[in-house]
Amino acid sequence: MRLQNIPLIVALAGLACAGNPAAAAPWSRGFVVATYEYAFRYGGRASFTRAGEIEPGVDCPHGSSTHFANENQTRKALALQKWRGPEEVNRIVQPPGLDQVRAPVLTRFFIWNRAVSYRGYRHGIETYVNPFAADDPGEPEVVSRIGDGFNLDGKVGPRDFVSPDGEKGIDNALYRAWGCDAPWRGNGNATLDLRANDKMQEGLYTMIIRVSGNKDPMNDDDAVVEIGYSPDKIVKDARSNVAPDYSYRILKTAEYTRLKARVRNGVVETEQVSEMHTPRIAWFYDQTGDADFHQGKIRLKIAADGSASGLLGGYRDWRDLYVEEAFAQDGGQQGVREHEDHVALYYAMKRNADGMYDPATHQYLGISTAFRITAMPAYVVDPDKPMDIPILTAEADRKAAFEAIRAATIKSVTTLTPQDVPPGTSEAAVPSMEREITDLPSKDYFLKTLDRPHYPDKTALNSPVQARSR
Amino acid sequence: MNLSRLHAGRGILLALGIGFAGASGAAAAPGDGDAASRTAMVPAAGPGVYAEASLGANRYRLTVRGHKFTTRDDVEKYLAWRSADLTLAKDDRWFRFTETRHKGDTAPVAKRDPAGPRFSFRMNYFRPVWRYKLKGDKDWKSWSPFSGTPFFADGKDAATITDFEASADIRLHKDQVDDADPLAFEAGAVSDLLINQVSPPG
Repeated sequence: MRLQNIPLIVALAGLACAGNPAAAAPWSRGFVVATYEYAFRYGGRASFTRAGEIEPGVDCPHGSSTHFANENQTRKALALQKWRGPEEVNRIVQPPGLDQVRAPVLTRFFIWNRAVSYRGYRHGIETYVNPFAADDPGEPEVVSRIGDGFNLDGKVGPRDFVSPDGEKGIDNALYRAWGCDAPWRGNGNATLDLRANDKMQEGLYTMIIRVSGNKDPMNDDDAVVEIGYSPDKIVKDARSNVAPDYSYRILKTAEYTRLKARVRNGVVETEQVSEMHTPRIAWFYDQTGDADFHQGKIRLKIAADGSASGLLGGYRDWRDLYVEEAFAQDGGQQGVREHEDHVALYYAMKRNADGMYDPATHQYLGISTAFRITAMPAYVVDPDKPMDIPILTAEADRKAAFEAIRAATIKSVTTLTPQDVPPGTSEAAVPSMEREITDLPSKDYFLKTLDRPHYPDKTALNSPVQARSR
Repeated sequence: MNLSRLHAGRGILLALGIGFAGASGAAAAPGDGDAASRTAMVPAAGPGVYAEASLGANRYRLTVRGHKFTTRDDVEKYLAWRSADLTLAKDDRWFRFTETRHKGDTAPVAKRDPAGPRFSFRMNYFRPVWRYKLKGDKDWKSWSPFSGTPFFADGKDAATITDFEASADIRLHKDQVDDADPLAFEAGAVSDLLINQVSPPG
């Protein structure tokens, strides 16, 4: 019997191989990330505005945030401090003699920056280092039901989103909290999306992905995804697009994670891991570092041309997200320029937090997130020798200042003890305001009235770091 | 273990004879040291200063009394902090302030605005009702923030106010705060904001 069946077995085996010619062949595909953004789903129309609103839509019925966008908005923010009298608010909103200075817009900008940096319950508490000490100014939130991301907790909750493909239970509370924030809301034109992607593509940092397996690259239930930092700058083509098929080294550092994955019809889906480390979004060197996702995972769809698009997701410590956003430069500068208020963003994250429950404080320290990426095909290779992420020594002072203000902020919101601004930052428009108001007739009023950080060395102007133009 | 909170609860219990339902549960919460240290940041209330009474499931009336009036803001902030602290002690997440309105009140009713900005709290909408006695008064008089009349202490010498009492009715909630409701207060955020600002009245 057995001998008689041999030809049949051989024939069946041959048929099986013919139907799956790539079976058992090791394969690997590499990608360099070309765009990296919060996975916020835009619901407006760029051409549509209503009075006082910017691009209202199904995501944000009253449009994007308008904090500090005009005199009324700034007046509203300053009126929350009961220790600030109406005359002071009036002078800040409309600085006397502004029409006599060479650069009135810039002069007012730095006065507003300084003023909104002090909105605590009493004089002298710097707001961005101590956001808990200010009243909640309010933030528009996403109200639509459709959102990108993952079902991170395996449940379908009342505030979860439905994915564009119809999957229920999508956890992306950061989208609800920040999705109407002006610099992150747009249809490919959000200002900080553009800025961050531009800086990444210009060489600030490089994120790469390698997918490998032993079966068919389009269908492999035992694949591996590696994501990490590359010391090799992104290569762009003559049209300024990220060029395909260049080689990048992947570093197995603090920003590296290896995940098991499954590939089905070209869609790569990783396992969910307790910690997923990747480079984080940044547009200045001081912000760069580990994204540190909890319960993180990745989904990538590989296109026929070898490019890929997809999502990274997981819970992130919302205090980290706050710090990374607020102190790219300084909170007031970014807030006034981008029409966002980090105090409002702080409270929005705190109340929408939905993960990493801390029994000691009875609070959620994590917020569910998703990040959208597009990637170009690349050769991802291991370095000849193990190496760490290079340090940009020219920016070391700013990096140190960023880490110092991060530590001060985490300490303040953890201990509820207001912290001073550490030296070395440009927080509260120091020394920018002093520099910009020299020809303002009412400059003495602002120098005398407005709070500012004071440093141990008593210097009026900070270290050379702050004098540097950004 | 939340020794400080437990201690404060016992003090109130002894002084007022009012139950502190759930405090033992909160006190036994694992790793509650941070909450204890936070509560310890606010001086303990003297006898008779603070009281809380259950009004039914998850509903409480909190009352703060004193004899040395400072400012309306001082007293109302302390009451708001006690509301937040009670919410956290019960392991709840937010509370809703219940307005005590009467016929003839003129203050506009705060409306929810699902399309508008969302808030963790809006302190302007924490509006307790007051009772007070001026020097020589035998009976309590009342003042409501919804009446449209000026605050009873406005323009008065604080020394003439011999007794005052502010009270707030709240309902505790466990789920995510209803941030479109102007009367919703996320306890953690309120507590964080007020903890350095408040002390019990004398």
